[in-house]
Amino acid sequence: MSKYVPKLSDLKKEFDEKPSVLKGNYSVQEWWDIPVEFRDGNWCFPGKPEVLEDLGFANPRKWAATDENWQLPAGWQKTISDGLQSRLKKYRSLKLFLDSCVRCGACADKCHFFLGTGDPKNMPVVRAELLRSVYRHDFPLVEKILKGFSGSRKLTEAVIKEWHMYFHQCTECRRCSVFCPFGIDTAEITMMVRELLNLIGVNNNWILAPVSNCNRTGNHLGIEPHTFVQNINSLVEDIEDLTGVAVEPTFNRKGAEVLFITPSGDVFGDPGVYTMMGYLLLFHHIGLDYTISTYASEGGNFGMFTSNDMMKKLNAKMYHEAKRLGVKWILGGECGHMWRVVHQYMNTMNGPADFLEVPVSPITGTRFSNAAATKMVHIAEFTADLIHHKKLKLDPKRNDHLRTTFHDSCNVARGMGMFEEPRHILRNVCNTFHEMPEDTIREKTFCCGSGSGLNAEENMENRMRGGFPRANAVKQVKDRHKVNSLVTICAIDRASLPPLMNYWNPGVSVYGLHELVGNALIMQGEKKRTEDLRENPMAGFEDGGDDEE
Amino acid sequence: MNTVLAKFLESNKKAILQQWLDCALALFPEKMGYSTPVAMVLSGALEKILSGLGKSENDCQEALDDVTRILAVQNFPPSKALSIFLEPKLILRDIMMKTTVAGTLTQEVQEAFNSRFDRLTLEAFDSYMRHREKIYQLKVEEGSRRMYMALRRTEA
Repeated sequence: MSKYVPKLSDLKKEFDEKPSVLKGNYSVQEWWDIPVEFRDGNWCFPGKPEVLEDLGFANPRKWAATDENWQLPAGWQKTISDGLQSRLKKYRSLKLFLDSCVRCGACADKCHFFLGTGDPKNMPVVRAELLRSVYRHDFPLVEKILKGFSGSRKLTEAVIKEWHMYFHQCTECRRCSVFCPFGIDTAEITMMVRELLNLIGVNNNWILAPVSNCNRTGNHLGIEPHTFVQNINSLVEDIEDLTGVAVEPTFNRKGAEVLFITPSGDVFGDPGVYTMMGYLLLFHHIGLDYTISTYASEGGNFGMFTSNDMMKKLNAKMYHEAKRLGVKWILGGECGHMWRVVHQYMNTMNGPADFLEVPVSPITGTRFSNAAATKMVHIAEFTADLIHHKKLKLDPKRNDHLRTTFHDSCNVARGMGMFEEPRHILRNVCNTFHEMPEDTIREKTFCCGSGSGLNAEENMENRMRGGFPRANAVKQVKDRHKVNSLVTICAIDRASLPPLMNYWNPGVSVYGLHELVGNALIMQGEKKRTEDLRENPMAGFEDGGDDEE
Repeated sequence: MNTVLAKFLESNKKAILQQWLDCALALFPEKMGYSTPVAMVLSGALEKILSGLGKSENDCQEALDDVTRILAVQNFPPSKALSIFLEPKLILRDIMMKTTVAGTLTQEVQEAFNSRFDRLTLEAFDSYMRHREKIYQLKVEEGSRRMYMALRRTEA
């Protein structure tokens, strides 16, 4: 045996000496006394001081989660306590969620982070209990009298560290809430705790830097208008090279019928840009009167992961821009959390948008009365309606090189109940589509593991653990049906699923739904298509193949 | 490996696997249950490794990768992660002490088994490191993908 192989006695010693619940080390202690351990790969870098200063957020400083001293501001306990009290008054849902849990445990094994890590504090019920225990200590009178008995505890710095750890191991995906008999939305508890943590400067740079950029320039990467336009024009050139068709998007054009807003990842990142090319081809194909704003240049809203006020502020730019440009309604691109904000919060935060009209498809005449309040339609609904009315000329054979499965994005699936529209599109633009196992799709879909601003590189191991249940479901269709393409309708998915697939299921690529639409669209005046939007050869069209009808 | 060992492994497969899987799950923080995806993948992979051992042409690389792929992203150090490949030797010893078939396993066969697991541990180390390196590679690739258009413009 090599001398470098660790000795069994050493390994056993480490295992024996390190405490664990399994071995009963904590049997006489309360569950919350088990210490948290920040180590490489399980935490995100904190907000940079300059980012916090830009936003006017509390306690800008240089620090790291691995530091002993987190340099919390003086009087931080009162800040948290007052913050919690004011939020309990303001949001009835929070109070309801804190009071009504009976700890039945139905949610326990539904969380992808719990399934991926086995850490009991990742059970949604226990994660919420991290806040509830403090709430019980401080608030309801009966609980105050029954201290200890009711599972209450004092707010200490250790509690803050625990909150930071575990409320950043929740992607606000809401899978747990599907199984909760009371409908408790743990995502909203996470949102509130993150909001409280931001009051004392305990935060995540991967969330706050995009918030700050978006606050200043209108999109997460802080790309200014001229660059935004140049990027899209560069995609327009790519489209012309590939298809021979010159699409003509317009920017900030007053009087357009529709304002199109999509996550900025579609304009800058790979593979989002191919989805953007799909949108542009589609709009050209149907002759849509639309414009793109270089100010409301972000569909995503990381304010949702920061605070309610910030979410409201970043969301407001959509309406402001729609009003300024005088459009009739807003069409939104493929995104996840953007749609939770739009569908569940926008109307009460910034509505009613009386200056807009209830969206009507100019091509089919369909009135989207489901969007009567927000005046904003999801592109999957819009395209599914076009296909339903046979308004698109499609050749699904052009996607024969792709054997697909569909990942329901949490916020579109559970946040707005959209299951069939993307599948209807997918079945019409490609010939091979296989569903993942039933308990991993639709309302029971597993998160990518990187949602809600946890997509930081330094958090990679955590993301791989959290994303494992999703990857494992993909592996099943990969093994059974030779699936090689994971199609999705979320920008965070498009960014986070490629590494997840590359790690767990090498050989599976990630596609936006409208990228496949773009491949399949038979454009008027197009040249012979031999390559898809990624410039990969299309099966059967390489040499002598014919894509004409 | 000889037929005696293969026979022994086959007849005790269930017991060995159960104990081995328990050791593997005990690595995780607290409550990694049998019905979790992690446990299912580990269980399948450990079984493949064990089934392959008695055969002459033993290629369990894929199963080994399945195990280390999970281990390489956990919150515990490599020494702890790879310790699961040292467990079968102890499990085998325990089982042999309890079964009558044990008498038929010669010292030579036991040594062959142990030495095979030593090799497997080293192969697992290689595989574990490949996955660690992959994590760093993913970080770099993700950075480039995020800045795809900016990089393209600089190249143009």
